[in-house]
Amino acid sequence: MEAEMKNGGGTFSVSRVWTMAMATVTQLVRMRILVFLVVLSVIVVAAGFMFPVFSAEQQLKMLKYVSFGALQFFSLVMAIVATALLLPKDIEDRTLYTILSKPVPRVEYLMGKFFGVMFLIGGGLVIMDVLLCGVLHFRQTLVLAQELAFLKQGHATAEELAVEAARIEAQGLGWNLQIGVLAVFLKAGVVTALALMISCFASSTLFTVITTFCLCIIGQGQELIREFFFHRTLDAAGEKIASGLFAVLVPDLRLFDVIDRVVAGNSVAGGAALFMTGAGLLYMTGYLVVAHLLFVEKEL
Amino acid sequence: MKSRRVQALVVFLLFGAVKLPVEQVVSARMKEARILDGSLDLGLWENLGQMGFAASLGGLRALVAGVTYMQAYVAFEDIEWAKVDSLFQLTSRLQPRDVSYWDEAAWHMAYNAASNYLHSDRVEPIMRGKLYHSHIERGIEILEAGLKFNPNDPRLLSRLGDIYSKRKIDPVKAGQTYEKVSVLDGLDRYERFAAYEYLKTMDPVLWKKAYVLLKRTYDKDGAKYPSVIDGIKELEKRLAIPFMQWIPEKGSGKGPVTPVQPMDLPATR
Repeated sequence: MEAEMKNGGGTFSVSRVWTMAMATVTQLVRMRILVFLVVLSVIVVAAGFMFPVFSAEQQLKMLKYVSFGALQFFSLVMAIVATALLLPKDIEDRTLYTILSKPVPRVEYLMGKFFGVMFLIGGGLVIMDVLLCGVLHFRQTLVLAQELAFLKQGHATAEELAVEAARIEAQGLGWNLQIGVLAVFLKAGVVTALALMISCFASSTLFTVITTFCLCIIGQGQELIREFFFHRTLDAAGEKIASGLFAVLVPDLRLFDVIDRVVAGNSVAGGAALFMTGAGLLYMTGYLVVAHLLFVEKEL
Repeated sequence: MKSRRVQALVVFLLFGAVKLPVEQVVSARMKEARILDGSLDLGLWENLGQMGFAASLGGLRALVAGVTYMQAYVAFEDIEWAKVDSLFQLTSRLQPRDVSYWDEAAWHMAYNAASNYLHSDRVEPIMRGKLYHSHIERGIEILEAGLKFNPNDPRLLSRLGDIYSKRKIDPVKAGQTYEKVSVLDGLDRYERFAAYEYLKTMDPVLWKKAYVLLKRTYDKDGAKYPSVIDGIKELEKRLAIPFMQWIPEKGSGKGPVTPVQPMDLPATR
């Protein structure tokens, strides 16, 4: 029985992973986290009408700042807190024992949990993205019409009107916004995999939350550490080893920071989005493999 | 059990070693695409500051910049220019690639703050002119800092040209700045702005330059811009351009018809 629990029974089944993922979604929904999503969605809609005194360009920019802030906040909190809660909650409710006593390999359980969190984050991001696009399109149409009417009253030339229209449209709805949302999702995926890996050896939920949160902050500055490591700007051997270790241990979360560019109204090349996706998948795979190795032998 | 943990540790370290070169490559590609900020030649402290901002605020830099921008706007409404300046400085450092912040900060200083001090009853008359000029200089300083982060940005360069032209009344620098903008993609209209500035100077060499620039616009767009025709007509006189090279008078649609001889104008080199 123990061997079966540890190694699982039968071959890998996608349908079992799907079932586990859906169960995880239900479990998280029952924790009333959707209230959190509703609050953030209200912020996204309200942001569209919060800054009427700013210039047209800044109004649209502020809407994107606030909305992307809400998107990131939602995805990161969910990725860290929800993931950290999952394993301890299953142990506390004894659901874990019921599941693993059946012919369910531990890898499927782990992947089910991971995809469950990802479905929830993805679903939340889609809802907020639809709201953001709707509000942004509405505001863009409105401020563009107001601005052009104002300029026409002041007898602006066709050249001036075109420049102003282009400036406002650059801040409006575009495909680069979706690349921004993809970046938020990928970053959340990496953090979820990291939190899941930590929770496989952590002694408490609090430990997982704090450690993952700290690694997220260090991850934003990982490039700096990596530069030190590669370019040998540190003299002491101890410092070199420390920088090398940090660079090895922590993911470079800055690779997903395309939002600054998106909010500024600049375009993001499709090739760059592919690189970002590739890096995200690499991190997720790596952390899930390690999580599996830790979880497969975990004493329950 | 211990063997699995060791295995996990080994895999984790191996994964870490594998990801390093991948991160280097992806990071380099993202910098090439100007999505991530590369190391700029800004000096040690500016670079460290930028990296510190990135590390401490994570992906929320843009949001924090939005908040400081709003604070700057409130300070502007309260006419607290020093606060506007310092908050915009913070905002633009948080989002240095967002040119609108540099542009707006410079506009507040060179236009709003400068004019406010010039007409303020709260400032001693003797100080008004000094404050007016120092705030125009501050606007220029902000744009120059912004151009270090965003070299050759047309919006910042054109704003700089505007300040030299309309606030500092330095047509030479204004013309030179507009000329820099004109070589950027799709902004050749700045050629004529540069020419109008050169026309204001007393330097015949710059008049010649202005003539070339205006003539190029004229040859491209014909009689579309009356001010281009006025400028060329003026320069034909000042530079003593041979009559056969004169352009038609405004609205005539014909060749040179008014043989006005140049008078009282300095000779060209």
